[in-house]
Amino acid sequence: MNRIYMALLAVPALLLFSTQNAYAYLDPGTGSMLLQGLIGGIAGGMFAIRLYLSKLKSRFGRAPASSVSTRDGEQDPTDKAR
Amino acid sequence: MTAVEPGSFRDPSGQVFENDGRIFRTITARALADYTFVRDSGVLRRLIDSGRLVASEEVDPAILGDGARGAPIVVEHSRIPFVSYPYEWPFPALKAAALFHLDLQIDLLAEGVMMSDASAYNVQFIGPRPVLIDLLSLRRYREGEYWTGLRQFCEQFLNPLLLRAVLGVPHNQWYRGSLEGIPTAELNRLLPFHKKLSWQVMTYVVLQARLEASANDKGTADAGAIRRKGLTKASLLGILTQLRGWIAKLKPADTGKTVWGDYARNNTYTDAAEEAKCRFIAEFSEAVRPKLLWDLGCNSGNYSAVALGAGAGAAVGFDFDQKALELAFDRADTEKLNLLPLFQDAANPSPDQGWQQAERRGIQGRRDADGLLALAFEHHLVIGRNVPLDQTIGWLTGLAPRGVIEFVPKDDPTVQRMLALREDIFDGYGVDAFTTALKARARIVRAESIADSGRRLFWYDRS
Repeated sequence: MNRIYMALLAVPALLLFSTQNAYAYLDPGTGSMLLQGLIGGIAGGMFAIRLYLSKLKSRFGRAPASSVSTRDGEQDPTDKAR
Repeated sequence: MTAVEPGSFRDPSGQVFENDGRIFRTITARALADYTFVRDSGVLRRLIDSGRLVASEEVDPAILGDGARGAPIVVEHSRIPFVSYPYEWPFPALKAAALFHLDLQIDLLAEGVMMSDASAYNVQFIGPRPVLIDLLSLRRYREGEYWTGLRQFCEQFLNPLLLRAVLGVPHNQWYRGSLEGIPTAELNRLLPFHKKLSWQVMTYVVLQARLEASANDKGTADAGAIRRKGLTKASLLGILTQLRGWIAKLKPADTGKTVWGDYARNNTYTDAAEEAKCRFIAEFSEAVRPKLLWDLGCNSGNYSAVALGAGAGAAVGFDFDQKALELAFDRADTEKLNLLPLFQDAANPSPDQGWQQAERRGIQGRRDADGLLALAFEHHLVIGRNVPLDQTIGWLTGLAPRGVIEFVPKDDPTVQRMLALREDIFDGYGVDAFTTALKARARIVRAESIADSGRRLFWYDRS
């Protein structure tokens, strides 16, 4: 049982304690490409589902889900004495 | 005189030149195929017409003489009212620029166009509206390619936003020091464990930092294999829309629950002193009609708004209060004001920096204002930072040939508060010394005391 816990914990632990590296300035961006390889499949799938749902909605007479170009710029400002 | 823009040395595809106040960009032979693709497919025209790309018209390359160095195409850009940098943008401006970049890339993919990088410096603001200034970053999309700009996007847009949204720390000072943004590995080290438990932070910060580190340990062995593997267009769009959805929801972690709309209704506009102040500024703006107004200590942009309403063309506001800047930006955005609020500490303004200390210009080098507002401002420098009164007036009047400066007397509550716990070393500080210093440099067109506050407005003209 303990072994299973340890194995489960090892994955996030590996992620959380990143190693120091001395030559980061040489990296051509491989890390961010690897990341895209890892998450691309899921992100692509989710994108396809969303697209399908918005098409479905528009077919039933509703306007398509607000497109990616709507802005959500609300901030939480406070008063300030000048 | 044709001068190369010193910030445009990086890209072999072309360079920016300034000639008699006009802005030109060369497009070299190596960039010709991509440029003609975006031009001939109509993408360029559509982007310009919708205001997302700075206006760009082809001109005769001979106009640059030898400067064009054989570039087959030269375009002329319209001038941006004021060039600003991401380390001067308040949070909502950086967020608007990030969303602008993602939306643009998402829309461009449908037209088969990819952006070759994700530099925040390629975005400029006209008022609160972001615009792309580098048409050379547009090129033909290649099936299966990765988003090469992801790392840069994270460092220059996402991480600085997260710094504030997750930790409540404004990005400006760190960004100004590093220029290229905030490295993912460093942000990762700063985040406490419980902040890493959101899956987006886990993916784009923790995992990316980890992958960067491991890719680095392995050297370039992996790079070729990854490149060959490729990324589908659906995956690319998925990543872009996912990031967009996340960023759209980001808010500063250190602000309260009030809404700026309430602020606009509850401010002191009804107050007689405030009315007199607004009238004075409106009359100044009507008479001078500045094309570009600098508003030092702009707060939430009230007086810039008054000046813009009375005839000023564009305004740039400066303040070091993040919340005031956020109010001002949102106000400019909702009221469609040509106002760009920027983070700036007058006692330590943006310097000349970057390659050869010429890549990013200091605030003084970008000075081309023809009108100035410095309201309830001078005492922050004189009393708050011990800058001698005479130097303060000299600096202020040097910024623009005409302007309005407000004098704040020593018995004013704000000055009293500044002096509450320190020795009053400002023996000579008073309206007489202020007037003498101002008269030594400019003509006083008008001076007016504001109600019973003891504050006094001075309209100066040194032209």
